[in-house]
Amino acid sequence: MSQEQVYTVASDSDTAEDERSSAPFPEIAIGVDIGTSQCSLAVWNGSQVELIRNTRNQKLMKSYVTFRDESPVGGVTNQLSHEYEMLSGASVFNMKRLIGRIDTDPVVSQASKTLPFLIQTLGIGVKPFIAALVNNMWRSTTPEEVFAIYLVELKSLAQLRLKRPVRNIVLTVPAAFSRFQLTRITRACAMAGLHVLRLMPEPAAVALLYAQQQQQQNQQSLSDSGSEKIALIFNMGAGYTDVAIIATAGGVSQMKGLAGTTIGGEDLLQNTMHYLLPDMDNFFASRGVHEIKSMGVLRVATQDAIHKLSSQSKVQIDVDLGNGINISKIIDLEEFEEVNKDVFQKCGSLITRCLNDSKVKIEHIDDVILVGGCTNIPKVKNTVMSICKKTEIYSGINPLEAAVRGAALEGALAGGVTDPMGNLDLLTIQVNSHSIGIRADKDSFVPIIPRNTTMPARREVVFTTAHDHQREALIVVYEGDEEAVEKNHMLGYFKVVGIPLASRGVPEINVCMDIDASNMLRVMAAVVMPGGENPVVPPVEVRMPTADDGHGLCADVLNRSFGATMDLVTLRNKAA
Amino acid sequence: MSRCCMRSPAKKTRNGQNYYELLGVSVDSNSKEIKESYRKLQKKYHPDIAGQKGHEHTLLLNEAYHVLMKDNLRKDYDASIGHVRVGFGGDALDMGHSSWNGPFRPHALFVDEKACIGCRECVHNARNTFIMDEIVGCARVNVQFGDDDTSIEVAVESCPMDCIHWVEKEELAILEYFNIPRPKQGHGVFNQGWERPQNVFMAAKTFQKQQQQAQSESQSQHKTARCDVEQETEAQAKARESASFKLKMERFSGLWEWVNNISQ
Repeated sequence: MSQEQVYTVASDSDTAEDERSSAPFPEIAIGVDIGTSQCSLAVWNGSQVELIRNTRNQKLMKSYVTFRDESPVGGVTNQLSHEYEMLSGASVFNMKRLIGRIDTDPVVSQASKTLPFLIQTLGIGVKPFIAALVNNMWRSTTPEEVFAIYLVELKSLAQLRLKRPVRNIVLTVPAAFSRFQLTRITRACAMAGLHVLRLMPEPAAVALLYAQQQQQQNQQSLSDSGSEKIALIFNMGAGYTDVAIIATAGGVSQMKGLAGTTIGGEDLLQNTMHYLLPDMDNFFASRGVHEIKSMGVLRVATQDAIHKLSSQSKVQIDVDLGNGINISKIIDLEEFEEVNKDVFQKCGSLITRCLNDSKVKIEHIDDVILVGGCTNIPKVKNTVMSICKKTEIYSGINPLEAAVRGAALEGALAGGVTDPMGNLDLLTIQVNSHSIGIRADKDSFVPIIPRNTTMPARREVVFTTAHDHQREALIVVYEGDEEAVEKNHMLGYFKVVGIPLASRGVPEINVCMDIDASNMLRVMAAVVMPGGENPVVPPVEVRMPTADDGHGLCADVLNRSFGATMDLVTLRNKAA
Repeated sequence: MSRCCMRSPAKKTRNGQNYYELLGVSVDSNSKEIKESYRKLQKKYHPDIAGQKGHEHTLLLNEAYHVLMKDNLRKDYDASIGHVRVGFGGDALDMGHSSWNGPFRPHALFVDEKACIGCRECVHNARNTFIMDEIVGCARVNVQFGDDDTSIEVAVESCPMDCIHWVEKEELAILEYFNIPRPKQGHGVFNQGWERPQNVFMAAKTFQKQQQQAQSESQSQHKTARCDVEQETEAQAKARESASFKLKMERFSGLWEWVNNISQ
């Protein structure tokens, strides 16, 4: 299979999002689930969802791109002779964990110490420098580029199988993704010549599949289709963990709560590697060819051990790291669980948070749906089941295929396809996973659209000036759920000008936020004087995010340049 | 750039279609009915199905659902649209229905509908305060102090039956509750129909007395019954306070449309 590895590099100012709302849905979009470690591709074939296999008959393909002298190849087409090949430094993987993050992010600094390719961090709040080893030289790349190369391969595979051009795509993403990360993914798709129809949180895709299954069951048994079922979806993959609580009836899955965090199999792997070789970070610090090789050996051995611990209670590890360093150890399940105590605890608290947010009582949960490779781990399974007080896992769903199947369903739905059998008479009503608000009342984060608000959503809050005769106000938009504003992600900022001369507290600055079904965020601000009918000056509407990755730096500069001179104070908050 | 929105239903909502009408449910529907209807409508209007043009309507559906599914928000909302429902006459409202213009005063107007002959004199003299219920054939108070004091004075004087009364503000909700005809308990085919107390003032007094007794008797009953009455007036107060805010909200939504119009 010959590949044309052509991708166009979209410039930073390129607004790929512009196209989003304009396309009149010309075709069925493909559903893609690019996981931290594995990837799959599916499409609605007219009567059902079909997974597309690659030329080696694989449904699940490894997510990595190998850089070589000639064009790079990805896991869709490439055949690894051995897993070590992926760990030689020439391959870049785990991109989903790195995309859209800055070098002060603990996820990035952890990765920089334990991955075989180069991740250089300066710790100053900028993009990390990423490079692959080609002919004993580090050659730079970016997470977006790696994604794009991979997507190009996926696209040509889909075109080959479907015998038609493929342009539209529905991608699943972790609930924990910030809007930054989403923009980066959209940009990577644009680079690969793909138009993103929807970026769907993974549990939302699973919810859609569940809705279809429930509906089909009801049709078969001719039972009361109005009966509502509550399900908890727990999705733990290599990079991320998501929890969602949904209420499903009549083909509609309504999300009650959604929560996600950046923990996954990769953390289990790294913890266990550190346990086996406590001095690992120093040992690999120099990053010579030899070190990279032994790092790969350790990684593969640890991975194997963790897999085995899902079915047996202890495992023998024997690895020769060269330079006379041998690791020979027996790890039992208890040790493994102790080493990763924090990870499992975080899973538990994520579920509890989601349950609290959605105000669903545990005894009302009908089904517990487990998705993702890590839910095979006994401790993970037990943690979820014991919190939900359930003994049986919902059996109708393949944990590794659920997300991509849901994405393919959404691809057909959003493409305007209808099915005479009613198999597409479905809908997932989603909620947003992070609060969005602005900086006001000194340094507080004032949410305007709180998390778990049903989308599409439009909310507004009225602010006023903090100083007498203040003529301008700075609207700084943040995403996150921390009270201290600087701990959240800054999405962008803009200035509201032309505020008439007045004492502080008099002018009204309406800040309105609107999220549409494709998750596009628009922020609008208008100045109105009390008693006035129309805005004093034309209102401003800004699509977010506008800031670049270095948002940490940006907030500092804004603060240094303007201080509190353009601050806002909350005037009225519409009762939530 | 298509940012067109389904403006017609949105307008209609602003022009009086309330959340219940929007969701196609009755005012006394329970949360299950609301949920079912909401999901059915979402399947029609959600942008995933209807495309971008469903955006505006789905926003309204989400807002209506959000309010009606939360008990406290629904109560406030009911109070705020109280005047909308007066036209329906026999609707089983569990509270007073007139709204207030301006600050609360110690006294309020009340029409004893049992005595009213439907002469429309009061409606003529103070059209913002009184309203004619065409179904029942009686006048009633729509907005407390909707007109200036002189017009109201004239209206009260003009009533040939002297059935417009000044009552204590606290009593108003109970009086209005008892003023509305309610279906009566039938025995087989006999005695069915609508009825209201012979003397609404006596009925209200008795009710209040019963409540006071119940209050002194048990703490739990106090919570359910007496408080209900008080809470409703409180809700009304809130609704009244938010009235000006609501107007501003409307204006702002208008802004959004204004911008959309220009950008198209």
